[in-house]
Formats: sequence, C-alpha cells, structure tokens
Amino acid sequence: MKGRSLKLREAHKSSGAASFCSILWDLRAQHLLTSSSNDLSICIHDPLLPSNSPQILRHHRDGVTALALSPNSTCLASGSIDHSVKLYKFPGGEFQTNVTRFTLPIRVISFNRSGSILAAAGDDEGIKLINTIDGSIARVLKGHKGSVTGLAFDPNGEYLASVDSIGTVIQWELHSGTALHILKGIAPDTGSDLSVLNALSWSPDGETLAVPGLRNDVVMYDRDTAEKLFSLRGDHVQPICFLSWSPNGKYMATAGLDRQILIWDVDQRQDIDRQKFDDRICCMAWKPNGNALAVIDVMGKYGVWESAVPSSMKSPTEDVPSLQSKNSNGLLLFDEDEQEPSASGSLSDLGEDSHGESEPPSRKRLRKQSTYDEDINDDLLSSLPKVESRKKASHSHKESLNNGNEGLKSTTSARLKMQEAFQPGATPVQPGKRRFLCYNMLGSITTIEHDGYSHIEIDFHDTGSGPRVPAMTDYFGFTMASLNEHGSVFANPCKGEKNMSTLMYRPFSTWANNSEWSMRFEQEEVKVVALGSAWVAAVTSLNFLRIFTDGGLQRYVISLDGPVVTASGFKDELAVVTHASHCLPSNDQMLKFRVFNISNGTQPLKGHVPLTPGSCLTWFGFSEEGQLSSYDSKGVLRVFTNQFGGSWLPLFSASKEKSEENYWVAGLNMNKLFCIVCKSPDLFPPVMPKPVLTLLDLSFPLATSDLGAETLENEFILKNMHLLQIQQRIEEMAAAGLDTTSLDDEAFNVETALDRCILRLIASCCNGDKIVRATELVKLLSLEKSVKGAIKLVTALKLPNLAERFNSILEERLLNETSRPATLPLTSSNHDASTTPDVVMSKFLTSIQSSKPSQPVIPLPSPQLSSPLFAKKGKLQEGAKVGNEKVEQRRTAIVENIGKVKSLAEVKSIEDVTNQGEASIGEIKNGAVNQRPSNPFAKSSSNQEKSSLFDAIKKMKKVDETGKR
Amino acid sequence: MAGQSDPYISLFSAQEVEFLGEDEMVEIVPNMRMDPLNLICGDFGPFRPQIATQVPLWLAVALKKRGKCTIRPPEWMSVDKLTQVLEAERNSLREFQPLPFHYVEIARLLSDHARDDIPDVYMVRSLIEDIRNVRFHKVETGLETIHERTHAVKLKNLSAMEANIVRPFVVRALQAFYKHDSPEMIPQPDTTAIRRRQVADRGPKRDRRY
Repeated sequence: MKGRSLKLREAHKSSGAASFCSILWDLRAQHLLTSSSNDLSICIHDPLLPSNSPQILRHHRDGVTALALSPNSTCLASGSIDHSVKLYKFPGGEFQTNVTRFTLPIRVISFNRSGSILAAAGDDEGIKLINTIDGSIARVLKGHKGSVTGLAFDPNGEYLASVDSIGTVIQWELHSGTALHILKGIAPDTGSDLSVLNALSWSPDGETLAVPGLRNDVVMYDRDTAEKLFSLRGDHVQPICFLSWSPNGKYMATAGLDRQILIWDVDQRQDIDRQKFDDRICCMAWKPNGNALAVIDVMGKYGVWESAVPSSMKSPTEDVPSLQSKNSNGLLLFDEDEQEPSASGSLSDLGEDSHGESEPPSRKRLRKQSTYDEDINDDLLSSLPKVESRKKASHSHKESLNNGNEGLKSTTSARLKMQEAFQPGATPVQPGKRRFLCYNMLGSITTIEHDGYSHIEIDFHDTGSGPRVPAMTDYFGFTMASLNEHGSVFANPCKGEKNMSTLMYRPFSTWANNSEWSMRFEQEEVKVVALGSAWVAAVTSLNFLRIFTDGGLQRYVISLDGPVVTASGFKDELAVVTHASHCLPSNDQMLKFRVFNISNGTQPLKGHVPLTPGSCLTWFGFSEEGQLSSYDSKGVLRVFTNQFGGSWLPLFSASKEKSEENYWVAGLNMNKLFCIVCKSPDLFPPVMPKPVLTLLDLSFPLATSDLGAETLENEFILKNMHLLQIQQRIEEMAAAGLDTTSLDDEAFNVETALDRCILRLIASCCNGDKIVRATELVKLLSLEKSVKGAIKLVTALKLPNLAERFNSILEERLLNETSRPATLPLTSSNHDASTTPDVVMSKFLTSIQSSKPSQPVIPLPSPQLSSPLFAKKGKLQEGAKVGNEKVEQRRTAIVENIGKVKSLAEVKSIEDVTNQGEASIGEIKNGAVNQRPSNPFAKSSSNQEKSSLFDAIKKMKKVDETGKR
Repeated sequence: MAGQSDPYISLFSAQEVEFLGEDEMVEIVPNMRMDPLNLICGDFGPFRPQIATQVPLWLAVALKKRGKCTIRPPEWMSVDKLTQVLEAERNSLREFQPLPFHYVEIARLLSDHARDDIPDVYMVRSLIEDIRNVRFHKVETGLETIHERTHAVKLKNLSAMEANIVRPFVVRALQAFYKHDSPEMIPQPDTTAIRRRQVADRGPKRDRRY
C-alpha cells in the first residue's frame, strides 16, 4: 500500500469530543461546506484556497447536524440540535427562513432530485417532507422506532429510503406515503453514540440502494424488490458508518469505525484504494466534477483526497448518468416552483397542522405534490432516455457501452465550458482587495472597488522613465485594461440597461489637452481590449474587432469568426485568440489565433492555439522580441516559430519545476521567462506587497536520454532556435534594406556558442560511447575551426576511427566550400596570395596535433615559392620540429590528403590546368576571391576575407580551450 | 586607520567596521533600467525594473537614497528568524548562533536607510539589539574564564563588531598573562610584534581564535 497520507485541516473546533460533522460540495465544486454538531457555524470553504478563512454562517443556536444543498446549488438547508431547519441562499449565504421546527434534535436532511422537497428527520418519530417553496409540510412519514439518521431520495423521484439508529431501513413510496419495504435490523445498531449515524445511499442510476451491513460490509438492495443483490466486503474491521457513491456510480467510498476509507470498484466488488486517518471519518463527498473526495472526521477536520480513484482507472466523473437532467431540470423546476405557490398556496395555510397523515386536505395537497413529482419524473425520463437505457443496460454489457457514450455527451454540455474571455495579466476580483487589471513588463494597472465606484492606479515598474499618471476614480466600473508606453485603455462590461459598455483611452503624454476619449456600445459589450503603437483594439460580444487610432478615430471594424478569448498588442501587431468551436468532450478548448498587422492592414499569421489536454489558456502575448507566446493553466509556455511552416514550440513546463509553486506569467524574452512566483494554492499574486518578477530559464520538455546530458541537449536545441530566429530577422532586415551588422555579430556569437555546446555534446557522446550521434553532431558544426576542434577532441579521447571519420567529414566540407568560390573568374598571377593556403594548412596541422596545443596558431607567412612540393616539404619540416615521428607521419598523410582534395577540386572546376600547377592554383583561388592582381603583400585585401580569417583564428583558440576541457 | 596608528590598540572604529560591512551582498529590486555596472570589485546588474538582483550593500544604499530601488531584507532579518535566533542564543550559554559576520552593520544600515522595506522594522531592530546584548554578555562571561594557563580563546561565530570590541582586550590580557606566567623570560619586542601581526592576520576569517 502506498504510504500517502492526507493532511486534514481544522474547520470546526472539536473540544475533544467526537461530534458528527458533515461535508458537501456545491454543484460546480467551487465551494466546500462543512458543519459540526459541536459548532453553531456552517463554514463555506473555497477548495482552491483552503488557507483563506471560510465564510461562516451563524444562525443556529446549537450544533449543526445536517447540511443539504439543493441540486442546482442555489439553496442551502441546515438542520440542527436546536430543533430547527433553516434555509439559506447559496452561495451568498443569506438566511432565508426557518423552514420547520421539530420537538427534538434533527439528524438528517435531504433534498429530492428537483429541489422541490426537503426531507428532514431526527430524534422525532416522523420524517417530514417539506415543500421548499412555501415551507409547508407536505407529509410526515412515520414508522421508525429509533431516531432517523439517514435519508436518501431515489434519483428517479419515486422512493425515499431512510435508516434509523437501530438499523431499520424503510423504503417509502413518495406517491402514497406508504412504507413499501421495511427491512428490520439490516444495518448496524449505532446505539446512543450520536457521532455515528447510519447512512444509506442510492446509486446515481437509482437501481440499487447501498446500506451499511452488519458484517462490516456494504449491502446492495434492489430498487423495486428490496432484495439483497450483493455486498462489498473487504478490509473494514469495524462497521461502516458512511458511504458515498461516486458521481458515475462506478465507485463507492466507505468510511468505517476502524478509521479508514476504502474506495471500491462497485462492478468488480473489489476495493481499489484506501487511506487511514487519525480519527474516524464521519462524512465524505465526491467532487461532482473531478476525481477527488472531500472528507471530514469527527474532530471537525476536513480535507480533500485528490485522485481518490487511481488515475489509471476510469475517472469517477466519467459517464455520469443524468447529470444534465439534474442541472437543467433543477433550474427549470425551480423557476416553475416559483409560480407554483398559487397551486399549493391554499394548502400551505394548513401546513402547520397537517402533521397528521389522515387529514384530507393535506392528502389532497399531497396528491398534487405527488403528481407534480410524477411530472418531474416524466420530464426526467422524456428529456433523457438515458435513464431508461440505464435500466436495460444493467443487463447487457453491449448496451452499456452505447450508454456510456451518451452519458459522455450529456456531461460534455453540462460540465465542460468554453473558456471565458480574459485580459492577459489580469487577476480575478477579490472583495475588498486591490487587483490587477493589467500587469505587463512595463507596469501595472490596479483597481479596488470602494463604495460603489473604483479607484484605479497606473504604476510603471521603471519609475524613472515612465510617465507619472495620477490615480483616477472610475465611475464606470472598468474590468478590462491594457497598458503600453503611450497610453492606457479601459473598458467595462454592460451592467443592466442603463450602464452601457464603455471603452476609454487615456494617452499619457500628448500635445493637445483633453485627448482622452471614450466610446459607448449599444447592445454590444466589450470583451477584450488591446493596445499597440498608435492603435487601440476592442473585441466585442458581437465578435467585432474594432480598431481605433489613438486619437479616437474609428478606423476599422472587422468581424471575427468566433467568440473572443483574449487579445494582445505589440507595436503594429495585434494577436486575437478566438474559439474555433465548442470544446471537445475531452475538455479541451479549441482555440485559434490571428495576427493582424494594423498599419499594413495585413494578416501575417493565423492558426490554432495548442493547449495541454484539459487546460485552458491563461496568458497570451508577445515576447520582448515580438514572438507570439502562450501559457496555459497546466503551466506550459509555447512560443510561435516560423519553422515547419509555423508551429508552436513548448519552451517551458511548470511541472518540471517545484510543485508547490505556481507561475504567473508577465512576459518573456529569448532566454528567460519573467513570472511572478506564487506559493501553491494561490494562482495569482496580490497587488500588495508589490510582486517581484522571477526569471526562469526556458527549456524544452526533453525526454530523458541515455546520454545524461540534458542541460547540454537543451542548450543545443535552444541555441539552434535562436540562430534560426536571428537568421530570419537578418533576412527580414536585409529585405527591408536595413543594416544588419549588429545582427550579423549576434548571429556569429550564437554560432560560436552553439559550436561550443555541440563540442561538449560530442565529448559526452564519446564518453557515453555514442559514436554515431557524435558524427551527426560534427556535421552540425557551423564553423570549420570547430570541426577541427572536434577532431582534436576525439584524438585526445583516443578514438582514432572517429577522428578519421571526422576528417573525412571535414574534407567533404572543404570540398564543398572550395568548389563554390572556384567558379569565380581567375585573374590573378601565380604569386598572388601564396600565404593564405599556407596559413590554412598550418592551422590544420596544429589542430590535429593534440600533443602540442600551444603551438602558435599563425605561422609567419613563409616567403616560399608557391610550388606544391615545396610547400608540403616546408610543412613537413615544421612538423618534424615539433612532433614525434609517428605523429609526423600521420600528419604528413593528412596533409597530402588535403592537398589532393584541394587539387582535385581545382581540376574539376578549372579544366585547362596542368598537373604541376595544381597546388599553386589552389593558392591562386584564394587570391582570386579578392580579384586583385599582383600585390603579394596584401594577404587578403577584401574586408570580408580578413575578418572571417581572424575570427576563425580566434574561434579556434576558443575551441582549443573547450577541447582541452 | 586606527588600528595602524596605535600599535597597542588594534581597534577599528564602529564606522570603519561598518565600512567593511558595506561589501556584503544584498538583494535589491530596482525600479529603473540600467546596464550592468562594471566595477573593480565586480560586475553588478543588469538592472531591470521589478527584477531582483544582487549588489553590495553600499550600492544598494546609494540607489535606495536616490529612490531607485527597494532593498529586500535578507532572510535572517525576519521577525521569525530573529526570534528563533534569540531563543537559541539564550538557551545555549557556550555557543553563538551563526549569523552573518556583519549582521550588526547590515541591520543598522538597512534600518537607517531602508526602513520602509523591512516588515516590522521596530520589532526587528529591538530583536537585533537583544541578540547583540545576549551575545555580548556571553562574550564577557566567557572572558572571565581567562587565566594564566589560557593560550588562546576560541569564539566561534563571533561577528565583526563583537570581535572588534573584544579583540584589544583579549589580546592584551593574554599577553599580560603570558608575560607574568614566565617571569624568568624577559619578553622581547620581537615576539610581541609577531604575535600582534598574527592577530591582525586572522582578521577576515570566520572562526576566530585569539
């Protein structure tokens, strides 16, 4: 068993004694409600921010024993030891009414599927069914001998099951109010311990009723016959005190008096996971839209057990039967109910004295109620044939497959939501706290609501150079903003009819007074705003992209092809992300982007926005260099590149970093991601204290290779990408006719760094005996010197055959290079620039000469004759001076080789050259490049040649160093 | 320097010790953009708004005075950490808690110049004051144990300011004991000179012995 443990957090003071506590999720799992029978208060926690203090409802005068939420989560009911049942609005928590009173403490309450009936029971002898609309008592069900501790409405609305403290289960027909089945002594007798309450539960499809059994097991009873079907028996050593079906009915969580929770696969009748706790767990609730189980123990400590069902198995929320019906019908019926009182109004007067079942008016009323309930059922069944199909499906597996698909479809529409529009760099509203409307690398716009209007401040990070902007009072209630060097733009959504959506632009510095402007939109709502150089963009609810100049001229109106998600501006470019379609059943958002060039009126880029499965877009914008970038809720940063016809590169993954931190992206540049680090439950930073940006290195999500040099591999890919980007920019600049010198230098630096990285990779490849990979890497080296360095490196590493191979690669390279310039016309004399090839050759010599790395790299240009033999001899002599004999021999061979290669190249290109002239022509060729005849002292007169040569020499020194390392 | 002018009192003034302490690195959050500073003592920066960087204390204070940055107080300068240290200092009579060598000076400089950047500045100040007093008391009681057989005193984790205060006394006390302990040997000026130099040499080490 895995040694995981769940940390529980105190929700209610326990004062040492065990008490019955309850826990509930709301429909969308946005809130977690807890109560304790030792505590007067009900706590509403935010499961995302458990450290925040919960919202507390204190209306009861004694401990709260029971909680129930109406199925659409708009109404909260609580039962208490103080004998009352109260109703509240939810999630606001405003107290609405005391819906009923008992003469003894209440132990359990439950809503029916439509939310129209609330059942409450406790130490009193009857179960009261209360009409939630007018608070009238619809029926009192009497039959239990002990106090009623568990109530469960059948999901199909026909039955109510109840269990009492002595272990009797009664199944009531709601129609008639009669007890259909009375099963005595099937559940454990909990005696007088009030912290243990017998529970029972219908499976979500309503086919089975689960009741804790007498043999530390859970017994399943058939819906119609109340016959025992099967039982879940396993490792509980004491009776089960609580059980809960997963939303899809595939799993069940049971809590026993033995302080453990078991998760069962109901179909397999097998427990699949368990967890031990310090105290007894008295209540559990499955998260309605995720794989998590909320638990609370008898000491009032609660926690959420994430992925209670092992992730390898089907999620507990997959194929939820008729969840949709719960949502839509619940809402719908609630609306109907509000008109209903007229129908039941006459009866509600009798509500108080209608306890007696025999009273005719109440019966009449009940009839109505029950027919009404039947309507609900019909409704349910007609709207969702799936419920029926479920019935059949329980017999045949084939059908259940179909059924599963159907279920999936229904959950899609119910649970999955298309992402709402957002501003990059904005934080959500927090009551009473300042929040960011916009945060970027330049500055921030913050707002706080105060007495009905907001207070907006604009701060620049660089206080020295940024303009000072006075704080402003905002009567519009702006919720969207964007900021750049020149100005800020604000917009508010429309609230009601009077408050129209407004767009306002405030330039920071202008020569004219009053150059602030605003636009109002009728029947239209601004969803997203963006700013660029001299333009303002707003995307509205009608899917219009409206572009204004910074003077307020309405310049363009463009219709977009989907609801907007976000937009971002950078200089002339505007990027807009829209929904491409409804999200996929797998909960993936389908987004696409377009980049507009506002000043040219073009659309240079468009495509889809990739996201990590199950995530949504949280940030979208441009890097400092203008690369389009996105960040999703799973923490993956992607940058758009033109490679492969335009694709997104995942450049950062938060999951690789520390898990207890969340990163809130503010921007990025070529090498770093700028973000604000938030401690784990927080997803976004507060305004105060001023957040400090953290720089994180970009890294590709590389697979773990057998090389064990991930950092190098990562550097390699990154450098390659940079080089490509720079080259691309050089091309752009060159196309625009601009000077590219600085970029050339940059490219050269990157090339150098890349070669250095590759050399190190080659070294680690050689150490790891990955010879083929090393050869591939050598081919990727961009500078000739680096190749030589690589040869030197492998020689030092005593890998002669690799060195050989590298040599041939180098030769090939030289060959390719020489064949290109040789096509130039030959105009120079034989004496011309005889030194250049010498230099090259001698350099080559030194590079392969691993034993003497300190040998001068540039030998003095020898004033020798240019005859090839002589040159070779000279080299040989030189070599003999420094090296030992063996090395010398090899070197000679290589030199000869090179000479041949060169000469071959020459022969190919220049046909009318005789054999004797070979080498000299090779030399001439170099001179030919500059096309300047007869200056033997001008080593290389063209600038280009010179610089490349010296740089190459410099480079080689560097390479030497790395090679030595 | 004072230490050089008077051969018998190898003592720096508080200002001098503070000057030495200004070379400690602290983290600042600049609110301006500036290229890296290439100084003799090293390269600092680049400075980018809202991105933290490490600079020496003197530079941090200079920037702070011009309103160009906020200083992030070092980790040990939080109320929690200092309370722990004080507690531990009080509990162990023989040992000193590890604190930065220049903690007194750093705390002093930061609370003088970057008052608004330190949360609970008064609490922090009084805690530092308390820690200093407790530690100095320990030093004093420790020195009472010096007697004629003592050749050296080992004080681990002693900070610059504390060492500076006790150094002249300890050195001279040990010398005096040494002198009186060997009456037949007339102290030669050479040995004392050597001894003094040795003491001076040990200046920058963290573990100090006298």
